[in-house]
Amino acid sequence: MTEAALPAPVTAPAVDRERLTAIGFVLPSFVIIAGVFALPLVLLLGVSVVDANGLTFAHYKRLLGTPYYLGVIWNSLRLGLLTTLIAFLISYPAAFALARARGALRAILLATLFLPLAASVIVKAFAWTILLRSDGIVNETLIALGVIEDPIRMIFTETALIVGAVNIFLPFMILPIYAIVAQLDPRYAEAASTLGASPVVTFFHVILPLTLPGIIAGVALVFSLSVSAYVVPTLLIGEKYPTLATTIAKAYLLAREPGFGAAAGVVLLGIAIAVVALSARLSREPK
Amino acid sequence: MSESSPHLVVRGVSKRYGPTTVLDHIDLTIRRGELVTLLGPSGCGKTTLLRAIAGLAQPDAGKVELAGRDITNVPPHKRNVGVVFQSYALFPHLTVAGNVAFGLKVRGTAKREIDTAVERALSLVKLGHLASRRISALSGGQQQRVALARAIAVEPDVLLFDEALSALDRKLREEMQVELRRLLQDVNATAIFVTHDQDEALTMSDRVAVMNKGRIEQLAEPRELYLRPASLFALNFVGLSTRIHGTVLAASDGKVDVETKVGRLSALGNFQAGSPVIVAARPEQLRLGEQGEANSAAGRVRSVVFQGSRTLVEVDAGAGESLLAELSGRDGAIPRVHDEIRLSWPVTETFAFPMEALG
Repeated sequence: MTEAALPAPVTAPAVDRERLTAIGFVLPSFVIIAGVFALPLVLLLGVSVVDANGLTFAHYKRLLGTPYYLGVIWNSLRLGLLTTLIAFLISYPAAFALARARGALRAILLATLFLPLAASVIVKAFAWTILLRSDGIVNETLIALGVIEDPIRMIFTETALIVGAVNIFLPFMILPIYAIVAQLDPRYAEAASTLGASPVVTFFHVILPLTLPGIIAGVALVFSLSVSAYVVPTLLIGEKYPTLATTIAKAYLLAREPGFGAAAGVVLLGIAIAVVALSARLSREPK
Repeated sequence: MSESSPHLVVRGVSKRYGPTTVLDHIDLTIRRGELVTLLGPSGCGKTTLLRAIAGLAQPDAGKVELAGRDITNVPPHKRNVGVVFQSYALFPHLTVAGNVAFGLKVRGTAKREIDTAVERALSLVKLGHLASRRISALSGGQQQRVALARAIAVEPDVLLFDEALSALDRKLREEMQVELRRLLQDVNATAIFVTHDQDEALTMSDRVAVMNKGRIEQLAEPRELYLRPASLFALNFVGLSTRIHGTVLAASDGKVDVETKVGRLSALGNFQAGSPVIVAARPEQLRLGEQGEANSAAGRVRSVVFQGSRTLVEVDAGAGESLLAELSGRDGAIPRVHDEIRLSWPVTETFAFPMEALG
């Protein structure tokens, strides 16, 4: 029996070594996530419920029990929801156009989508204030064309806020939808049509469900970005539209109320997590 | 409607993509219940013709009629055709039953009728037990069956298969060919298969249309296609053959005498004296030794390939010409490589084709 002379396979240590290697690869990112992200989160949570006298929920009572702060939460939600909705309505057809485009046109369209990501949010928000203010380009043009006689108040309105937010966060909606649409086999729509589905039925029963993962990714991204936006509301609408993000900044920088700021941060985080979790759940559930 | 009346009629259909003519005045008439294959190499226009029938490609000229209705300008969703795609294109967000029910649902069929039809279609393809499975949980062969069930469930006027079996492995494909043909005959379906696989074409079809460069070169029953190829292209594309270059010496009522580098041969064909031709014969017509009036040529055996029931012998006949003979064990001794042998074959199984058709 020659086989008997062979050493027994030593699989167990090999597996252990593999596992150690895997841990080694994961460790740096784990340390960074844990140290820079998870730990501050735990501290934030702690600060929001602990004061000099011990455990307290006073900050949460103030946030959720005062009409003013409920209005602030509503403002954030409204900013997030409107921005997400409008960005989706613009992005969905845009993603299909992008996927259909060929050659130079596609390159140009992708570049116009990616390049603004390189500019800082502050730069883009300021650009919008320049465009929209009373002596800005939009008003001057409208007056020169005789469409209006006096400048329209555009800056520091909710419209300005939403227009700016949609513009700035648009790539985060288009790109995930585009990624799905570009891979969508045209045979699906053809199969549906040969089975008797009109273009409208094909859209709602085949195209929309198949692109849902991209939509959900885009919605999760844009909502979590816009609900927590700070620079955009500060520059485009200011004091009269307080959001959770601007409230947090005020609590830390002006009012010196870290406990209250932390509680507002936890509420904001809770809203974002709830929406993202809901999105993830929707994308997994087959229709 | 009687069995022999035309069910699908394609009349003078042409299609160009830019400078390329993909379909060049195609005429094709298919009877009800007939299984027809469009056979040809890639780029011959067979898929475009299928898509023109399905309404997925709009022809530049010509007409398509289905079940007595001119459907040339009817959108695909109003044509009542069934298509089985090469990639199957099963909807990944629906279950097996959901896919099969799709066509009936969009037609507004009643729920109870849908359930019955889905059950019947799935049992027809022997997948009743997998109705609630997700598409991603199926094997390639099972997906192929679901695609077929989905197309059959709406009871289309014609079923169109676009290379529908080519994604399956060889053994499964051969099983499916036989099974699919039986199934389609059982439900009396009219079907068109698009394939580049000659075995599939010969196995599955009542008639085969050999396509080349946007034209139908020959439309014939498989047996006739093999025994009486209408063109050099059809001869080459279906089955093996011996082909020898030559010049017509004399011609008389459908027969020609041809001078070739391996000797004088006789063949069926209508040519004028002096025409350059290619003389061809199927390998199983070639026999060892001389036979009275038959054509014959001699040479040295170049290779012997044993293939079970038959043995392919390739003979170098000199001057760049070669002979291919298929010998069965009954023919006695099989020659060996380097043997000098003489092969002969009947004049009635020898065909002459115009030289310029080559290529």
